[in-house]
Order: sequence, then C-alpha cells, then structure tokens
Amino acid sequence: MNRVKLTEVLFKNLPIRKKLLRIVFLINGIVLLVAGMAFFGNEFYSFKKATVEKLSTIGKIIAANSTAALAFDSPDDAREILAALRAEPHIVAACIYDKNGKIFSEYYAGNEKSKFPPSPGPQGYRFSYTNLDGFVPVMQETLPLGTLYLRSDMGALHSWLGLYAVVVVVILLVSFLLAYILVRLLGKSISTPILALSETAKIISERNDYTVRATKMSNDELGTLTEAFNQMLDQIKKKDDNLNEFNQNLELKVHERTEQLETVNKELEGFSYSVSHDLRAPLRAIVGFTSILEEEYANRLDVEGKRITSIIKKNTMKMGRLIDDLLEFSQLGRHDGTKTSFNMQKMVKDVKDVLATQYNTGKINWSIGDLPNVNANASMIRQVWVNLIANAIKYSGKMEAPQIEIGAMTKVSEYVFFVTDNGVGFDQQYSDKLFKVFQRLHSAEEFEGTGVGLALVNKIITREGGSVWAESEPGKGASFYFSLPVRNEIRINHQ
Amino acid sequence: MQVIMSILSRLIQRLPRTVWNGRYWLTVLFVLSTISGNAQNPSLEYQLKAVFLFNFTQFVDWPAESFPNNKSPLVIGVIGENPFGKYLEQAVSGETKNGHPVVVQYYRDEEAAKFCHMLFINLPESDKRKQVIEKIKEEPVLTVSDASDFSIQGGLVRFVTRKNKIKLQINLEACKELGLVPSSKLLKLADIIEPGKTN
Repeated sequence: MNRVKLTEVLFKNLPIRKKLLRIVFLINGIVLLVAGMAFFGNEFYSFKKATVEKLSTIGKIIAANSTAALAFDSPDDAREILAALRAEPHIVAACIYDKNGKIFSEYYAGNEKSKFPPSPGPQGYRFSYTNLDGFVPVMQETLPLGTLYLRSDMGALHSWLGLYAVVVVVILLVSFLLAYILVRLLGKSISTPILALSETAKIISERNDYTVRATKMSNDELGTLTEAFNQMLDQIKKKDDNLNEFNQNLELKVHERTEQLETVNKELEGFSYSVSHDLRAPLRAIVGFTSILEEEYANRLDVEGKRITSIIKKNTMKMGRLIDDLLEFSQLGRHDGTKTSFNMQKMVKDVKDVLATQYNTGKINWSIGDLPNVNANASMIRQVWVNLIANAIKYSGKMEAPQIEIGAMTKVSEYVFFVTDNGVGFDQQYSDKLFKVFQRLHSAEEFEGTGVGLALVNKIITREGGSVWAESEPGKGASFYFSLPVRNEIRINHQ
Repeated sequence: MQVIMSILSRLIQRLPRTVWNGRYWLTVLFVLSTISGNAQNPSLEYQLKAVFLFNFTQFVDWPAESFPNNKSPLVIGVIGENPFGKYLEQAVSGETKNGHPVVVQYYRDEEAAKFCHMLFINLPESDKRKQVIEKIKEEPVLTVSDASDFSIQGGLVRFVTRKNKIKLQINLEACKELGLVPSSKLLKLADIIEPGKTN
C-alpha cells in the first residue's frame, strides 16, 4: 500500500472533526512512542550501567576483603565474606577461584546450587540473556591471589522493564485522553467555522438563496475564507439580480417587439390584400367595358381600333393575373403550417395532368422517377410543383423535342427533389436572382409570366425547413432543386 | 612463585578424589612429612607455610626506618633447620613489597637475625627460642614459629594446626609496640592473643 493510499484510507472521507482527532492522535502516539523509546533506551542503558557499577562496587569490596582468606588458605573466612552478599538479593551466586583457577569458596543465594564456570573468565562484566556475570581479580596490592566471580540475575532489570512498560502505557492512555479532551475543546475553533461554512454552502446550494451569509468566527485564515466566501456570495447575488433584471427586460422587449412586428405584419398583409383586392375592381371595370366595346361596337371600330382594344384587354387580364399572384404571395403568411404525410408520386402526376390541360404538352417527353413521401403542408408543396413544372413546360416549349425529368435523391437528413428541362436555360451567375419577386431573366414577350412563381417556391420551401437552388447554362436546359428535411415518421409511412 | 604454585596444584591434582576431602588433610600431611622427611621436597604443610610467610610480607607493614632505602630488600630470615628446602626461596623470587625486593636468608646465630624483617624460628629447644626472641625483641622483626609456647615467650605469629587447617595466632599488642602493622584482613583471619592475660 503506498503512502497516498494510506492517507486516503486514514483521512479522505472523514468529517473534519474526526480528521483533526485522528491527526492529533497519530502525532501524539508517534511522538510519545519515539520519546518513550528514546527514554526507554536511555534508561535501559543507564540502568544496565548502574547495575554494572553497583555489582562492580560490590565485587571490588568482596575481592578486597577476600585477599587474606585466599592468601592464608581460609575457605571458611572466604565463605563468611561471600555470605555478606545475602544483603543483595539479585546476586544469585558467587565464587572465588584461587590462583590456579580452582574454586576456593562458593556462595548461593538460594538452596539451588548453580554451576560455576570451570575456570575464571577474562576480567569484566558481561550480560547474558538471564544474567549479568562478572569476574573481578582478587589482589593484595599488586599481588594477584585469585578471582572473584559474581552472578546477578536480571530480575531487577525485568521488573524494572515491566514497571516502565506499565508507566508508558498509562502515560499513553492519559495523554490520549487529554488529547481527546483538548481536541474536543480547542478543535472547535477550527472545525466549527469550517462546519458553519460548509453548512451555509449547503443551504445556499439547496435553496438557491444567495442572501444567506456565513458567520465569521475568527480572524485567521478561516475568517478570511469566510469573508471571501461572503464577498463571493455578494457578487453572485449582484450578478444574479442583474441577470434576472436583464432577463425580465429582455422578455418584455421581445414581447413588445413581437407584438409590434405582428401588428406591422398584419397591417402589411391587410394592406397588400386590400390593395390587391381594390386593384381588381377598376380592372374588372376596364375588362368589362373593353368587352362591351369589342362586342357591341365591333362594327364601328376599324381594324386598328380592334387591335388596340384587344391589346387593352390582354394587358388588363395580364395585370389581373399579376394581382392574383401577389394576392397569393401575400396570403401565404396566413396559411397554417399543418403538416401531413402525403403521396408525392400521386401529387406530381395530378399536377402534370392538370397542367396538360392548360399548356400544349403533347410534344413533351416525360420522365418521372420514384418520389418519397414527405411530411409537410400538402397544398403548399403542390403549389411548388405547379410552379416548377409549369416553368419547365414554358421554357422547353420552344424546343423541337422538349424533355422534362422529375426525380428525387435521398440524403442522410433530407430529400432533394428536382425538375430538369432541356429548355433555354439561363446564365448561372444570375441564379440567385431567380428566387426574388419580380426578378426575371427573360422578357415577358419571350416567355409569359409574372416573376412571382419562383419567389413563391422559395418562400414555401424555406417555411418547410428546406432550401431551393437552380443549375443551368444558356441553351442547355435548367435544373431546379428543392430539399425537404427527413422526418422519421415519413420513413415509416413510406415503408 | 607461579612455577611453584603450579607444581603444588599438579601435586594436589594427582591425589585421589577422596583424599582431596579436608577430612584426610592431616593424615596426608602427616604421611607425606614422614615419607619425605629431610628430603629435597618439603612437606605440603611447609609448602603452605612458606607461601604464608611470603604472604605476611603483603599483609603486614613494617616501619619505614627498618629499610635503609627505597630499594633495600625485605628480608625473610630462617633460623634453625630449614624445613622449606628451596621452596621458600622459589616462593619469594622476583616478588616485591612496595618496591622492596623480598629475599630469604638463613641464620645460624641470633646476632645476624637482628637485621631481617621476618624471622621463622625453627628451633625445637625452648631455651634457644627464648634466647633468639630476647635478642631481637627491640627490633621490628615479625617472629614466626610453630612452637606451642611461642606467644608466651614473646613471639609474634604462631602457626597452629587445627581441624586439619593451618591457623594463625597473632600477638597484636606486641606487634604494635614494635611498629609492625598487620592488615585488618589478616587479623580477621587470625586469632589475636594477649599472652599477658591468661588465655
């Protein structure tokens, strides 16, 4: 387990109060353990040293006292001297070796007779696991007489170790208790502001209420944080207010403008409708009176008079058609956008048949491909087909073998329909003019028309979410395209 | 010294285990002494006594005036028949006391004995012993003997064989009068006697 993971496991998901407590406990524990170990090591070392010193002192005294006993071969006296060791209960056994390394006198603290080293070892004190052993030379002045052997058990050390362990554990427990109490008392100065802050943040995010403020409790970093937090809230509140105000104003303005626009639009529509309508009345009068002139005064008019009357009637009727087209164009806005799924193939065939009654289409070579069903305003789309096919018939009418091709391409998100003829065509650079009202590339004398048809097509297709474009070269025919968006239900219906 | 001690220890080691028991000590000593007699090697008893004599030099302090200078020897004298053979000389050879080399001298008459520091008197006749003691009683000489009336005669240290062990009797008062200072450790081992009073 690496360090990052360890700290994560120890701290990551804990509440701040517990985190503090755990940190303090950890530090406390580590510090106490390290200090305890250092003290223990030091104490252990000094205790051992003190034990050696004590034993060494006793050894020196005993050795000094036993010189005469050795010198004058008195084991009884030596035994008596050694018996003084009874005052030191940790010395479990002792003996004196004579000059030749033979045991001269023995001492046992208890009844148990322990084995002594067969011969004296080197001078000095040595710790074994259970004992402290020492060899002390017995000398009178400079004269070596023998060796004293002392064996001290480690009972003192062991009992001391036990005591120390108990003391350390007690200190550990007491300090943990103290640390706990202190953290509970002092930790509040850190945890309370943080908890208050987080509580405030929670309330704000739950209620979206930016008027709530965190209480500043101290003048430290946490205080600064609280202040910054509150300032941030102020700013958010201000911006929120501004945004709300702005939104309201915007809505109001949009509403206002929409109303204005609607009014203007209605006025405009009403205006164009009434204009068109009013324009027809004098026209009817002109046509009516011209007809009377033709029928009742035919015998009084010479050839020139008849020709002029016919021109007046023709132009007047032409103006009537123009007004009809304009009326239709302006009424487009009033149609509702009800969309239905319909059979495109059938619609095109109908339109073709209807147009065949109005135009001379006998020569035309028709080619109609598969057309997908679409979901759109059927009457509008019908109008589109009428205009496009009528155009094709018109502009290819002067050809010796006119051809009209109608078809469709299915793309990812749209259907593209087209009408292609082999008529006079037009210059591609003027193609964008085609779809504007009253814009014509050919004169009315050459090809009849009002210049409203393609504008109407453009308007309808745009409203249906599609687009219109044309491709041509002069004398090589023209292709008119319009696209309609694919809707899922259309595909289902089609299948 | 070490050589002698090793010889001694080897000798002891050769003895059967049962004999090493203190109970047979006297018997062994007695047998050895009768067998060896005046032979080259002294009995175990006198080997011990020779070591004791040397050890006295370490446990007794003599007055400074008894040494003409720092290097002058500390003399152990033997008067009467020499019971130690070469053993005593070997025991002290190379040894010193506070820088004074320890030497052994053998005397025929008491006149020369005045100038030693310790005198082992091995004279069976009580009169002769008395004579020697009287001769040197003013000198700081530690007189040593086995004789039973030695203390009464004014001798200072007596070897007593008791319970198979060699014990010491010291006339402390007399020692002090002569300026001889036996170590307290020595006195602890020894029986202190006062011949003036009835023992």
